[in-house]
Amino acid sequence: MAVLQQARIDYTNTVVTVVLVTCLSAASLAQSKKEYSYTVGPRANISVETQYGAISVKPGSANQVLVTATFKSDNVEVDQQQNGNRIEIASHLLRGTDPQIGHIDYELLIPPDANINLRSSNGPLSVERLQGDLTLEGTDAVVDIREVENGHVHVRTMRGPVTLTDVRNGHVEIDSISGDIQMKSVTGPLVQARSGSGRILYDGDFGSDGDYKFTTHTGDIEALVPADVSAAFRAHSVLGRVRHDFPLKPRHSRFREEAGRSFIGTSGQAASEVLLRSFSGRIRLKQR
Amino acid sequence: MKCSEVERVLPELVDGSLAAAFPADFESHLESCPACANLVSDLTLIATEARDLAECDEPSPRVWVRIAAQLRDEGLIRDPESRPILVPASPRRRWTSTAWWLAPVAAAVLAAGAYVVSHKPAPQVATQVSAPAPTNPAPQNSAQKSPDISPNPALVATTSQPVPATHSPTPKLAKPSDVVASAAYPTVEHEASAEDQQFLSVVSTRAPSLRATYEGQLQTVNANIREVQAYLEHYPGDQDARQQLMDAYQQKALLYQIALDRIQ
Repeated sequence: MAVLQQARIDYTNTVVTVVLVTCLSAASLAQSKKEYSYTVGPRANISVETQYGAISVKPGSANQVLVTATFKSDNVEVDQQQNGNRIEIASHLLRGTDPQIGHIDYELLIPPDANINLRSSNGPLSVERLQGDLTLEGTDAVVDIREVENGHVHVRTMRGPVTLTDVRNGHVEIDSISGDIQMKSVTGPLVQARSGSGRILYDGDFGSDGDYKFTTHTGDIEALVPADVSAAFRAHSVLGRVRHDFPLKPRHSRFREEAGRSFIGTSGQAASEVLLRSFSGRIRLKQR
Repeated sequence: MKCSEVERVLPELVDGSLAAAFPADFESHLESCPACANLVSDLTLIATEARDLAECDEPSPRVWVRIAAQLRDEGLIRDPESRPILVPASPRRRWTSTAWWLAPVAAAVLAAGAYVVSHKPAPQVATQVSAPAPTNPAPQNSAQKSPDISPNPALVATTSQPVPATHSPTPKLAKPSDVVASAAYPTVEHEASAEDQQFLSVVSTRAPSLRATYEGQLQTVNANIREVQAYLEHYPGDQDARQQLMDAYQQKALLYQIALDRIQ
């Protein structure tokens, strides 16, 4: 009896394995790739828009843009054109195509100084090691930007979480309706993050001479900073709890500090200005 | 007098202080130099018009309603039910033809938000109809004197409830619409609701599967707006709350813009 049961289990496993392998093979066969290559000058402007699919951008050679588009089906088309230093790539679903299979994944190798404009509903969108201006927009897309410097970074999402790591010396503006925003080692003359119900987490030293504004409606805000941070802080949550475990020096201000709802103070030379504001979210400034 | 000297005194001309110490050869230069004469003429006109503009009152929120009504009358904004459901050859073009109005609506949302934020409510606003008045007097500026939240049970309930990651679209205040409807912002709210309905109708037509998502997000941002509005009913001088209200309106505009980009 036991032998019979074992045989039945083995048979079932074999069938499942065969079905899975067949499905995976079919899926891989259904995928097709196209490559596009462009020659550009300095500070090229590259725009990629897809309704569904991932977009990944990495640095390549100084005057070449290489785009690899991976199609999940034949029911989606790519419109691409180059006008001088401007490249526009957009994909759209053909009539009657199911969005689930009609997406395209893009991988781009671009000059490090190029400006990019990426848009995808579900993403993910990832950019790394670039120095141009970045504009990324998505609905549910996960946005990941890392090792970027000297360029402006603008991100807009509806629900997609946004992560910035090692972003330096640029204007950073992140807007999300309900997505979380996480920043690690992000500094610049202007760093602005705003989310309605998402959390904002900052882990860094606020650089110097920067203006940092983090705002939520219901989301929590947490800043994790080193002991030697040099910044002037002001935090206020209209209805939420605000606290800090940081030895802040009193700061002359027209705003009155209220325990538990707001705090104002400076650390070090107060090189940067930091504003943390929420309507009903909690705010915490924490020493690393 | 040379052209460069005329340019130097132009700021004085604009603010009206030039007349007191009018350079003697100023007029003679203008008579001989058409370029400077035109420049001075234009600047004078702009300065005069700007002064007139400054004296104008800010438009009533009803203005936005009238504009929307006029746009409907002219057929620029139409009921989505009367719109045929088509599958266009160019998705971008089709979106433009069916929902181009989202862009101005988003701008109108922002403008309405700016109006609400900048508008100082009249003193009688503090007399609540359906919300309990705070037992403590409301501070004139929370930045100088932060509000005591405890007198308002509805607001206390808001903070005591945990907020889930994906927030419930239902307003967190007990009956924020009742509170809001008492005085200051009812017209703006009703106007927004009409546009929201049209917005959701377009979403339903163009992308039925996304309606629930956008509706949930829209309800959340509307709830946020109402929440701050209700708070400002109690504490009209709270500058941070006013900024939060502006942020909430910007979030709504952002939602419209994202929809504009997404639903093609």
